[in-house]
Amino acid sequence: MLLEIDDLAKAYRKGARANDGISLSVAAGEVYGLLGHNGAGKTTMVNQVVGLLRPDAGTITIDGRDVIADPGFARRACSIQPQATLPINGLTPNQAVEMIGRLRGGRADDVRRRRDGLFEALDIGEWARTDGARLSGGVRRLVGFAMAAVAPGRLIILDEPTNDVDPVRRRLLWTQVRALGDEGAAVLLVTHNVVEAERAVDRLAILDHGRVIATGTPAQLKERVADDLRLELVLEPGAALPELPPFVLRDVGSGQRHLATVAASAAAAAVGWAEAAKLDGTFEEYRLGPATLEDVYVELVGRPDALSNGNDAPASDPATGLEDARVRAA
Amino acid sequence: MSALPSYLLLIRWNALRMKGFLPLAIVVQALFAFGIVVGYPLLFPELDPRTVLFLATGAPAITLITMGLVATPQMVAQARTEGSYEYMRSLPVPRILHLLADLTVWLVIVLPGVAFAILLGTWRFSLDLQVSPLIIPALGLTSLTAASIGYAIASVLPPMAANMMSQVLVVFVLMFSPLNFPPDRLPGWLTGIHAVLPVQAMGEVLRGTLAPASFPLPAGAFLLLGAWALGSFGVAWRVMERRG
Repeated sequence: MLLEIDDLAKAYRKGARANDGISLSVAAGEVYGLLGHNGAGKTTMVNQVVGLLRPDAGTITIDGRDVIADPGFARRACSIQPQATLPINGLTPNQAVEMIGRLRGGRADDVRRRRDGLFEALDIGEWARTDGARLSGGVRRLVGFAMAAVAPGRLIILDEPTNDVDPVRRRLLWTQVRALGDEGAAVLLVTHNVVEAERAVDRLAILDHGRVIATGTPAQLKERVADDLRLELVLEPGAALPELPPFVLRDVGSGQRHLATVAASAAAAAVGWAEAAKLDGTFEEYRLGPATLEDVYVELVGRPDALSNGNDAPASDPATGLEDARVRAA
Repeated sequence: MSALPSYLLLIRWNALRMKGFLPLAIVVQALFAFGIVVGYPLLFPELDPRTVLFLATGAPAITLITMGLVATPQMVAQARTEGSYEYMRSLPVPRILHLLADLTVWLVIVLPGVAFAILLGTWRFSLDLQVSPLIIPALGLTSLTAASIGYAIASVLPPMAANMMSQVLVVFVLMFSPLNFPPDRLPGWLTGIHAVLPVQAMGEVLRGTLAPASFPLPAGAFLLLGAWALGSFGVAWRVMERRG
């Protein structure tokens, strides 16, 4: 395994245990998802891998080398796209990506060729010579990805790479993330966007309160909910949610949008109930489908707000968070 | 990548990032210089030659010191808030190069404003200063010390506190430091404080090199500044290397 993390623990001064015995490993060529809500300990873990934070306990090795003892090696081995978009005011994407590639040790002509290839693949070439101050958030995020990918380390850490990116370029971005793995790098993908992660990662770990609560491939994790279906309900404006029938195992969300889990054996009953409610004007629309990784996530973490980024949705309003995640995933 | 190309790349990175700030820096320094050279004389019923010399040499000193102590911490605090300080720390480049590149760009940015302050003073008071070649190390050391202290403040304190601290320092430098007036006008307790702080020494090396015919150039001031520059550079470097 290229990256091995064993029993990693980190507490902040106020006593909060940000990482509480995390163990996971990522192989070369693998895209590994790290899922969890805001404050689950994802970024703390990443910062320990790249040597910005010192763990209280546990080990981290990259290619067998102890990077807690040798953080300089970690910086050479890892390239990172941080969660906060790097401001590049005054620099054009061309300049920023080229300079970071060369600071990472790339040869000037190699770096330029790869930069141009990435810009073309991400369809952002038209802004290559625009001052960073005039770029939209999504384009800056894609430039941040190119900065991590232009002279990649053996481990590439991407922290929420798709935030602010439009749906078309998101797909282009996922193709490039996959390509990094196919070229032999280990990719650690930090995200709260469960639906997108499901399609992009080989394996994943779900973090909650600083602990790994599940690991596996998306298919392995979905076995937990193999007998469940998800029923998405959208209420007509002004309509109140009717009493839920007993076959609804769980319901999250509030306001107009609800996400219910029903047993597969109750599929016909669920459609009948929802269709009747649509006809009498309670539901604007409904959708029944197989349970997704998102449903696994909600079941494991137990809180729908876990799906949202705390910056976008107050924790006290779980429904907004859920909706937000789904809109983003669309 | 070896150190020199990395250092040059970081200088280019910083210079491009800060090119928008350069006109602002010149305007702010020019306003400071204008205030001292044109505004301060209004406080005096008549100007004797010695007061004039203190104002003319104090103007570049104050512009240089306030820029280092105020603008540097604000820029470092901003870099920490927006995440670029951490990002640059995650690159496989010796961290001391970041610090050296930041300070190098800083030295260049403050130069036009200082030159303007010197010229404005000599023009306004029709002075014929016999400037010593030692002005170059004096300007370099003053600017480096002020910027290093600013950098260290912003490295140690949380961003908000660093910004407030820089405001307090402006008042101290403008009102309570012997830059525009001789140190013997200070109350005794403040004299003792200024003997160990670098601000008075900054004024002394600039006065002593801008108007060497009228002011002494104490070697001790250079030594004190050197110690402050090294000490604050060391603090900023140590914080940059630290793992939380």
